Amino acid sequence: MPEIIVKPASLKELWKTLPALGKARRYLAGGTDIVTADNAGAESSECWVDISDLPELGAIKETARALFIGSGVKISAIENSAPARRWCPALIAAIPHFASPSLRNMATLGGNAANGSPCADGVCALVAEGAFVHLAHNGKKRCLPLKDLFLGPKRTALEKDELITAFEVPKTKHFGAYLKLGPRAYFGISKAAVAVSLEMSGKTVKRASIALGSVAPVPFYAVKTSAWLAGKPLSSEVVLAAAALVMTEVSPITDSRSEADYRREMCGVLLERALKSVCR
Amino acid sequence: MKTNTCSVSFSINGEKKTFATRPDEKLLDLLRREGYKGTKYGCGQGTCGACTVIMDGRAVYACLLYAMQAEGRKVRTIESMGTYDKPAPIQQELVAAGAVQCGYCIPGIIMSATALMETEKDISDEVAKEYMDGNLCRCTGYEKIWVALRRTLDRAAAEPKKKASKGGKK
Repeated sequence: MPEIIVKPASLKELWKTLPALGKARRYLAGGTDIVTADNAGAESSECWVDISDLPELGAIKETARALFIGSGVKISAIENSAPARRWCPALIAAIPHFASPSLRNMATLGGNAANGSPCADGVCALVAEGAFVHLAHNGKKRCLPLKDLFLGPKRTALEKDELITAFEVPKTKHFGAYLKLGPRAYFGISKAAVAVSLEMSGKTVKRASIALGSVAPVPFYAVKTSAWLAGKPLSSEVVLAAAALVMTEVSPITDSRSEADYRREMCGVLLERALKSVCR
Repeated sequence: MKTNTCSVSFSINGEKKTFATRPDEKLLDLLRREGYKGTKYGCGQGTCGACTVIMDGRAVYACLLYAMQAEGRKVRTIESMGTYDKPAPIQQELVAAGAVQCGYCIPGIIMSATALMETEKDISDEVAKEYMDGNLCRCTGYEKIWVALRRTLDRAAAEPKKKASKGGKK
C-alpha cells in the first residue's frame, strides 16, 4: 500500500529523485497488475513512483530499420497505431486477447514485461516478433533480446530501479498470428498461447519465430521449432511435424488453470492452426 | 513534481473540483466518499467492470487507479448520464428490455456503452460486444442487456441528422 506516490515529470527528474526515496519503492505504470495486488493486500512497497505520464516512455517512433514502442504506451493506443499494425502483426493479433477493453486503456507493454508473468499475452507476441527491450538506469542504458529478460515466473533481469524504456521491433515484412486457449473466448488468463512470426519467400519459410505463453516458467521462445522451420515449404506435413516438435520443447505444469499434458497437447494444436492461418 | 500530496484536482462530470485525498486512496473510494455512489465496488481486480468510469474519453476501472492519478484529467461517472425523469437512450432501452435485475452492474455497463458510442462509428455487433467485454452481470445472462444496447445503437444510427450536426464530418 503506497504511503507516498511520487510523480516525476521527466526521466532526468526521475533519476534525480530516486536516491532520496524510501527503499521499498516500485514503479507504477498502468497499475493493472500491482494495484490489483495492492487491493488484495499483497503489495508492501511504501513508495510508488508513477511513471505513467513520462513523456520519454509514451510514444511510438519509427526509424528506417525499426519500430520503437514506448514502454508506457497504452495497449489500446498500440492497437490503433498504423505503424504497429504494419510491422507487428503477431502483437496486433494478440491485443484482442489482452484482458478487456477497459484494461487495455490502462495497461502498458512495459508493465506486462516487468511483471514477468509467463502468461503475458503482449510479451509473448513481442518475443515472437523478435523484439529487443531497452532498459535505463540513471545514465546507464542497455538493450537485450526481450526473450532474455525473463529468468523465471515473475523474475526478470531488471536490476533495482532499472526501467524498461522501449521495445524495438525490427521492420521486416512478415506474417503474424496469435492464438490463445483460455477459459472462454475472451478475457481470461491463458491455459496455453502461441505467437507466430513468419517471413516467407513464396511458399517457403525464410525465417520463423515462435513463442508460447503459459507453458514454461517464462514467456517461451521455441528455439528448436523456429530453427527447424527455416527453409522448409509450409506444407501440411511440415506443419504437423512442427506441431509435434514444439510439444517436445515446452515444459508446462499442472496448476489451477489447466493440466500439464493437456497444455502440451494444445501447444501442438495451436501451432498447427497458427501456421495454417498463415498458409491461407 | 508531487510528493505526498494530499489534494487532487480534476474535472468530474464537467465540473472542476479539488479533493483532499491520501496516496493510498483509490479513485473509486474517493468518488463514493464524495457522493458519486453510482460507481460500484465489485471485485477490486479489474475484472467485473462495476467501477467503470470514463477518463479522458476512455472506459477505465476506478478500482485500479489511485485518486492522485486523476490529476488534471476529465472523469465522467454514471451521475453525468440521464436522470430518473429524463433517462438517456441506453437507460430507456435497458428498462424497456427488462435488462435490470439487481442493477449493480448497470452503471458500469452504461459507462462502457457510452465509451463505445462516443468512440466508434457504424458499430457492428462484434465491435459492440468487444467493448462490453470487461463488464460482468451475474443476473441476466446478458441477452436482455445486449438487446437494449443493440436497440440503442440502432436508434442512434437512425438519427443521422442529429449525429452529423454534433460530430461534424461523417
